[in-house]
Amino acid sequence: MKNLIKLAFILLMISNSAFAQKYITKNGHISFFSDAPSEKIEAKNNQVSTALDITTGDLVFKVLIKSFEFKNALMQEHFNENYLESNKFPNATYKGKITNPKEIDFTKNGKYKANVEGEMTIHGVTKKENHAGVFEVKDGKIIASSKFFIALKDYNIEKPKMVLNNIADKIEITVEVSLEKIK
Amino acid sequence: MKKWLKIILILFAIGIIAAGLVYKFYINKAHPDYEKLPADFKMKAEVIYNEYVKDKKASDSIYNGKVVEISGNVAKIESVDTLVVVTFVFKQGDFGDEGIRCTMLPKYNEETKKIATGTEVKIKGFCSGYNDTDVILEKGSLVKE
Repeated sequence: MKNLIKLAFILLMISNSAFAQKYITKNGHISFFSDAPSEKIEAKNNQVSTALDITTGDLVFKVLIKSFEFKNALMQEHFNENYLESNKFPNATYKGKITNPKEIDFTKNGKYKANVEGEMTIHGVTKKENHAGVFEVKDGKIIASSKFFIALKDYNIEKPKMVLNNIADKIEITVEVSLEKIK
Repeated sequence: MKKWLKIILILFAIGIIAAGLVYKFYINKAHPDYEKLPADFKMKAEVIYNEYVKDKKASDSIYNGKVVEISGNVAKIESVDTLVVVTFVFKQGDFGDEGIRCTMLPKYNEETKKIATGTEVKIKGFCSGYNDTDVILEKGSLVKE
C-alpha cells in the first residue's frame, strides 16, 4: 500500500513538472511586409496565441486573419475579402518542433539560435515550413523571434493583374512572442 | 471665353473634384469607428463562447467580422505592452485560461484597468473569430446604460 502511494506521488510530481514546462502567450506579434515596385504594404497582428513546450520542443502558433491591422482601411478590406478570403479561411496556424533542442538551455538566461520544422496552414493550404529563429531566455520569460519569407503562390493566394506591381510575390513575415510559464 | 473652352474647364474641374472624393472616401477611407457602430448581436459572454466551441464554422458565419456586445463577469484585466485586454474565462485548456478576450480601444484603457475581477460588464467589440482556445473581440468599448 505504501509503495502504491509512493508511486502515485511520483507520477503526480512527474505530470506536474511536465505541465509546468509549457510557456504561452495570447498577445504575440506577427507582422508582414510586402515590398513591391509600386507600393510597400505592412500589417500587424497583436492577438497571436503561441504555446511552447520546452520538454518536447513543440511550438504552436494560432492566428486569426481578421486580426491583421493595416494603416489603410481599403487595403485591409481587400486583404480580407480578395486575397486571404478571411470569411472562408478565418484561421492560420503553424505547428512545429525545435530540431536542435540540445543547443538551447531554457533554464539559463541567454540567446539561443533555433531551427524549427513544421507545417503552416494559410488560406486553407498546408505546407511544410522550416525556419530559423532565436529564443531569448530572460528572467523566466522566453522571447521567440524569427524573420522569414513566404511565397503567395505556395498558399494559392492570387494577385489580380491590376495590382501585380503593388504586391510582392514573397512576403516578409516577422514574428515576436514573449512567452510566460503557464500558471 | 469660348463656349467649348468653358465646357472643357468645367469638365476638368468636375474630374479633379471626383478624383479627390474617390481618394478621400474610397482609396484613403477611414477605418470604421467601432465605438459608434451599433451591435449586430447582443448576448451573454458564455453564449457566444459555447456556440463557438460547439461549431466554429457555423459561428464564424454568424459572428466573424461583426460587432458583438457581450455581458458577463470579468475574470481578469491584462495589460500587455500598450494593449488592455478584458478576459472572460470558461475553461482550462492547453493554453491555460480559455474563453473570450477583448482588446480595448486605447481611449478605454485606463477606465478598464480599474475594473475589479468578478465585476459584471457590458463590452462591445469587433469579433475576429475563434482560435480554438479563445473567442477574440477587438476595438472594445465599455457599454454604459
